[in-house]
Amino acid sequence: MTNKLKISIVLGIMCLALTAGICVQVKTVQSSNSTVSQNYEENNLRAEVLKYKERYDNTIKEIDELDKQLDAKIDEATENNSELEEAQAQIKEGNKIIGLEEVTGPGVIITLSDSQLDPSTVFDPSTLLLHDLDIVSVINELKNTGAEAISINEQRIVSTSSIQCGGAIININGERIGSPFTIKAIGLPESLANIDRTDGYLDLLRSEPYKIGVELKKSNNITIPKYSGVINFKYAKSVE
Amino acid sequence: MVLIAIIIGCVIGAIIGINAPIISYTYSSYLAIAIIAALDSVFGGIASVINKNFDLKIFISGFFGNAILAILLTILGQKLNVDIYLAAIVVFVWRMFSNLGIIRRYYVEKWSNKIKEKKIKKTS
Repeated sequence: MTNKLKISIVLGIMCLALTAGICVQVKTVQSSNSTVSQNYEENNLRAEVLKYKERYDNTIKEIDELDKQLDAKIDEATENNSELEEAQAQIKEGNKIIGLEEVTGPGVIITLSDSQLDPSTVFDPSTLLLHDLDIVSVINELKNTGAEAISINEQRIVSTSSIQCGGAIININGERIGSPFTIKAIGLPESLANIDRTDGYLDLLRSEPYKIGVELKKSNNITIPKYSGVINFKYAKSVE
Repeated sequence: MVLIAIIIGCVIGAIIGINAPIISYTYSSYLAIAIIAALDSVFGGIASVINKNFDLKIFISGFFGNAILAILLTILGQKLNVDIYLAAIVVFVWRMFSNLGIIRRYYVEKWSNKIKEKKIKKTS
């Protein structure tokens, strides 16, 4: 009997280790979202990419953590000092304007997506795609209608932002962004919605022969993330 | 008894596994081959319990030895650019099926014997 008990205990522990391992493995495979590939080389590349992605995500998390610590330290240091508190409020206000702070408010959400038309039916298939210049024009019109903060696919548009063609994708702030483009803008929604006027740029995109997917939605609660990069002014000096 | 222990082990293991953090993708291929090796060992253990030649030392050493050897082979295969882990998988799955066959035969025979006994009782 004791022998049988021993056997059951050992088998139970082994099964415990086994199922724990299986669960961890299933979770890992699910999170990395990979399909089984025949190609060893491809697997290696995927593993490499995932490794870098992991490292990148970890670093971003670390930066967030440090930012929070810095904020707490600044709050601590400026406490009970009205002069410093005022300066801190000024810095916050400035950060909001140049795009270094998350902002929220009413505005519009514009979703642009590539045309659904069959590329073989048109003379130049590239007219069916959204280009960097289309985005630039839409952003320009949004600024003209009074947008205070703009983001494209969660990339904040700041004074140093560039919108560049990168082949099938578009580079904004050095990040690669693909269709569909979700452009969020904060401002007076009625004013911003004027961008959808007749003969406006959105109207042009929507019309024949491009038929690009355009969707404009007003919203009272839009959150625009802060610019994740660093704005460096090395050459521009203030005039005394 | 053995069955109850296995079920309890599986349930607790699943709970631990679900709450455990995910591991790095780099090591998941090693874990996968270790899981196959461990699965083979457990089936082998059950089969040997049925055959009544279960030896604790052989079972535990096989459980860890097979898993470690399989991981080492996978690492060696990656270094040499040969998919050695495929050979390990073939062997382990082969043994799993043969062990499963032993278990299946045992229970089918037990079951059919019972039916026979019942019939004999009815007729007599």
